[in-house]
Amino acid sequence: MDTTQLLKGVLDLAVLAVLKDEDGYGYDILRRLRTAGLEEVGDASVYGTLRRLFQAGLLNTYVVPSEEGPHRKYYGLNAAGRDQLNRAGKTWRGFASTMDALLDERGVAA
Amino acid sequence: MNVATEQEAYLEAVKRALADLDPTTREELLEDLPEHLAEVAAEGEGSLAERLGPPDAYAAELRLAAGLGAATTPARGLDDRIAVAVRRVRGALGVADRKAGPVLGYGKASEFLRLLLPAWWVLRGYLVAMAITVLTTSQFGLLPRLGGSTLAAVLMLTVCVLASIWLGRREARLRPVVRVGLGLAGVGLVLFGLVGFDKADQYGTVYIDQTYSTNQYEYVQDVYAYDENGNPLSNVRLFDQDGNPIQLGDPYRCLNVDDYQAKVDATGPTYPHCPNRLPYLIAPQPGLRVPDRGAVVTPTPDGPTEAPPTASPVPEPSATAAPTGTPGATPTN
Repeated sequence: MDTTQLLKGVLDLAVLAVLKDEDGYGYDILRRLRTAGLEEVGDASVYGTLRRLFQAGLLNTYVVPSEEGPHRKYYGLNAAGRDQLNRAGKTWRGFASTMDALLDERGVAA
Repeated sequence: MNVATEQEAYLEAVKRALADLDPTTREELLEDLPEHLAEVAAEGEGSLAERLGPPDAYAAELRLAAGLGAATTPARGLDDRIAVAVRRVRGALGVADRKAGPVLGYGKASEFLRLLLPAWWVLRGYLVAMAITVLTTSQFGLLPRLGGSTLAAVLMLTVCVLASIWLGRREARLRPVVRVGLGLAGVGLVLFGLVGFDKADQYGTVYIDQTYSTNQYEYVQDVYAYDENGNPLSNVRLFDQDGNPIQLGDPYRCLNVDDYQAKVDATGPTYPHCPNRLPYLIAPQPGLRVPDRGAVVTPTPDGPTEAPPTASPVPEPSATAAPTGTPGATPTN
């Protein structure tokens, strides 16, 4: 199955997750996602998702001046964001374990 | 390509693709993009489009991920305003197209106009032939007479019309730039044609005016003078206010050159040139002096060739037209 299709559903959760411990700017967040194994995530998708999460009131932002190049806009979780991360995380885990069990029962290779 | 220029170009392209968003949303969406482009460019090889995909696709992905549908808020940049204006004009044209269709008996006016395309190709060929003629001979007429030859005109007309049709059938497959050029050239040709025909019309009008104003008596071939009693006068001399002889008509109408010269030498130029072709004949009256006594009573004094013009606009002389005054006045000359 094409991972990009799956990503569309869980990118919000993934972005919230990589911001859980440390704030980050756009490219930094993208790199964290890629490092975590989401190689196929699109650059524009991450930026679009960041904007949508911010609009939804789940993120706060601040600008940090950069010595070379443009200033960087940092994103971090606020209280609502953490709350959303917990709830969406539980939903995903439940869903994922259901799927795992479904596949295990039928002997589909992991 | 210069690195900074490439990033700017990419940024601009994405911006254009998001032109329909309201400016605030768009600025928010694009806020991180310059920095991101700089990072990507610094990271490795290959062009931005190779690594990020085409700007349009990037913009579409950004829009989708940000949860923005196809926004329709009017944009404010000059490019955007032009784009919006073009869209509006197209919309209005589309409406006019559909409304005018039934008037012409078609679903859309454009369907009808499309049928007229071959006619335009023929007209275009004709105008091109005319333009070539005007450029080389500066003469504008109904036929493009290159070098004044009708054969050349027909040949050139044929070639130009066929070439225009040939081109017209291939126009749809040409590049947009070429098609725009052809369109502009067509407008120029139509203007040229209008100006040319207008001028040709003016020449025609002036010509007619001149025939009326400058030679009112061109049709006069001879002059017949009658006295108050209706007696034809012969050997009449006419002069203008300055004493110059008035030359009217065709002196050689009845006489050949030598005979006329002999007459002029003997009596000078006198009227009528043809004394035996009188337009009016006089009925005999007592004491009336007639030019040829033997022939007065008959309407044809000298046979068929010398008959008075039957198609003459004036009525045949009759007794009622004959003078009733006292006869006896004798012309002196």
